[in-house]
Amino acid sequence: MLEVKNLAVSHKKKIAIKNLNFQVNDGEILGFIGADGAGKSSSLNAIAGVIKFDGEIIYNGFSYKSPKEVQKVKQNIGYMPQGIGLVLYKTLTIKEHLDFFTDIRDIKIDKAFLDYKKHLLSMAGLERFLDRRAGDLSGGMMQKLSLVCTMLHRPKLLILDEPTTGVDPLSRIELWEILKQSAKEFNTISIISTAYMGEASKMDNILLFDEGEIIARGSSKQLIDEIKPFVYDKIETDKKHITISDTTYCLENLENHHQEPTLESLFFVNALKKDRLLPKLQISKSKESIDKNIVVMKATKITKKFGDFYANKDVDCELKSGEILGLLGANGAGKTTFIKMLLGLLPLDGGELELFDKKIKSSEDRNKLKSQIGYVSQHFALYDDMTVKENMMFFASIHKIDAKKSAQLIDSYSKELGFERYLDEMPKSLPLGINQRFSLAVSILHEPKVLFLDEPTSGVDAIARAQFWELLKELKEKRGISILITTHYMSEAEFCDRVVLLKDGQKIADDEVENFYKKFPNANSFEEIFLEYYR
Amino acid sequence: MKIFFTIVLKELLSFFRSFGLVFIVIYFFTAEVYVAATGMEIEARNVAIGVVDKSAGGISKKVLSSLHSPEFQTSKYYKSQKELSDAIYNKDIMVGMIFDEDFEKNYYKKQNPTINILIDSTTASQSLMAIGYIQNIVMKFNNLKLPVELKMHKLFNQNADTKLFMGVSELLSVITLLTTILTAIAFVKEKESGTWDIMLLMPVNPKIIILAKSLSQIIIMMVGVSISVGLILFHSLDVPINGNLLNFFILTFFYVATTAGIGLFIAAISKNIMQVSQFSIIIMMPIIFLSGAWTPIYAMHPFLQYLSIFSPLRYYIEGSESVFFRGTEFIDLLPYFSGVLILGIILYWYGFRKIGKLF
Repeated sequence: MLEVKNLAVSHKKKIAIKNLNFQVNDGEILGFIGADGAGKSSSLNAIAGVIKFDGEIIYNGFSYKSPKEVQKVKQNIGYMPQGIGLVLYKTLTIKEHLDFFTDIRDIKIDKAFLDYKKHLLSMAGLERFLDRRAGDLSGGMMQKLSLVCTMLHRPKLLILDEPTTGVDPLSRIELWEILKQSAKEFNTISIISTAYMGEASKMDNILLFDEGEIIARGSSKQLIDEIKPFVYDKIETDKKHITISDTTYCLENLENHHQEPTLESLFFVNALKKDRLLPKLQISKSKESIDKNIVVMKATKITKKFGDFYANKDVDCELKSGEILGLLGANGAGKTTFIKMLLGLLPLDGGELELFDKKIKSSEDRNKLKSQIGYVSQHFALYDDMTVKENMMFFASIHKIDAKKSAQLIDSYSKELGFERYLDEMPKSLPLGINQRFSLAVSILHEPKVLFLDEPTSGVDAIARAQFWELLKELKEKRGISILITTHYMSEAEFCDRVVLLKDGQKIADDEVENFYKKFPNANSFEEIFLEYYR
Repeated sequence: MKIFFTIVLKELLSFFRSFGLVFIVIYFFTAEVYVAATGMEIEARNVAIGVVDKSAGGISKKVLSSLHSPEFQTSKYYKSQKELSDAIYNKDIMVGMIFDEDFEKNYYKKQNPTINILIDSTTASQSLMAIGYIQNIVMKFNNLKLPVELKMHKLFNQNADTKLFMGVSELLSVITLLTTILTAIAFVKEKESGTWDIMLLMPVNPKIIILAKSLSQIIIMMVGVSISVGLILFHSLDVPINGNLLNFFILTFFYVATTAGIGLFIAAISKNIMQVSQFSIIIMMPIIFLSGAWTPIYAMHPFLQYLSIFSPLRYYIEGSESVFFRGTEFIDLLPYFSGVLILGIILYWYGFRKIGKLF
């Protein structure tokens, strides 16, 4: 049994978690959910004993209060930090990894261990690839190997920080199988943080983190039942409420039909409870009329090779005006490479590209189109040594927008997208959700016709993500902007008009969103639908 | 044009906001130059020596035969003191020895025979060491109860002060390293953070971006050089200024642009800041070693001496020292100006092309 008492962690002066108390029983899988920066990683690191903390942690009667004291229970702990393949060495093969971790853990090699190792490998489906180098594995296989290495010394306490983020749906299911089996067979305690609510619902118990505190705890069913009274079908009301897509959240009683909540709803109800009402976000309508059904981008058999490795192979893709096209896939599926080729940031190794009905052959062809394209790169890369306002002024000036107009634009966008009070702050210090909307504002300063967004929702909390998708819909409807967006959240397919699914650099599905449900009438979620394509 | 200045301004702003960089630049321009000036020693090697021998030649030959390698080159003979002085001025030789007509006569008569020695003290520690050697050798003759008095005439750096020489050449090396690294970082920082891609998609001529970014770093360097020259060279180290300081600054401007070109090249081949520092060291070290900043060129292996022609720092150092110590006129600085300019145009053009290809 693991007991955490009054756990607190602060980074310099910033408090990451405060006054954390919880218990986990043997054989239990405990899930941590919450936005980035809510304190999930800090808690996991403290329990694993890799950072300094206050308070007390008791594992099977052994109490530790500092990283130094953890030493004695370390042989019982298996810890996997956040990030794909972080514990692996790219140039070592799978077999070499296993040997290495066996050696540094000083594991006695006997029949029992060899059987256990074999068992782990077959659960992970890695036994056929023993001679492959870690650098040549897919993201999913890397995570499975990381987990096998973490479990090699039979830890009784598994601490996994977002082990599945960005991993393809099939590998995610396999990872889950390993964890469930190990909990059942070896009575392991597993503490796992996740960004996917679908996964959280499979855990025995869930802790919901917000601003360094646990704000809700219980099984998935308990949590959902608790918030049922606050979730309604969309309705206009004067009472304090949050309305997002077709759901209204309100703490007071509304005369309306209740909606079945999801784990995501937890975040909205919590925001209401803490009186964090969402600013009304909107985009002003453009004066120009909007042409529909023009092909904005047409890619034919686009290919990109890095050495012997195909990052993209014969990908066909079409983007029509006024359409939101979702480019879905796990990390490493080739989404970013594809978007970079469309933008001309990487040369094509094969195939043809047309933008606005013009074949793109040279950089000259592109230069003429630059003013029509907006781009938000992964992790919202803007200048982090300049304030939000300075960034916007700089890019406006680069786009040859005069000072008066740019002041106007900054003013209106910062109000419409709700980052007005952050104008004089550095992008790094902003919440990710604000950063995301400010990057979007920068990318549409020059009124582009098409917008390319690379993983704009990754790591952003559920509320900010929902708001962002609403904004994209507004951009589409009011400005007629065509949007190509990449994401590793399969569930976000529902916000798109059309979805292209990439796997290992190849297209495995391409259809309008409605048609997917027609094809798989029994599926409960997009996750399940896309799983079929992965199989 | 407006875009050009917007970018220059943005670069300056982001430089001043990164405390680490500002600190490094200030440190290198002040403390580093000062420490190097006050704490370095160099041994005499391969010193060129010239002789005017008007004596019968018996004793003088004996003295000269003791000045041998590795400390000294074989002595060159000159006909008159004037020729000898010119040779020193032109850096053909570092030490000049004059044996008077009655040197040998006085020597035998024990009537204070005199050897006049002229020495180029810009390469201060070298000249000091050379003097030491010569004194030792002459002492040996004194031990034979033949009293000889040496008369030294130090040129250009009257106190043969190591500090001055080391201070100036350290400043020049600092300029070389900093310009390269700053320029490269200005570009690679954007590669690392991903803003590079965003800039590529802006409807701006990439040439303007490259020029604006390199100009901003040149501005930072020129300000740094001014501070260093005023505060450290003149104020703390008392470096003389015998020529026109403006010439030094013009030469510096050209030279900084030259090294900015090398910075562009490094930026083009580096993926991150880590690689910038690695490539900078690999590329800059030979340029500094071959320039004569740390070891005089005549003390190098002949092959390296030949290679040093391609080090822009060589011309910059010789030019700058001429301004500070020799007080050389502009017209006589032209060789250095052209050396820096020719190499500069080639290097900047190459770096510009190389990074331009990434746009």
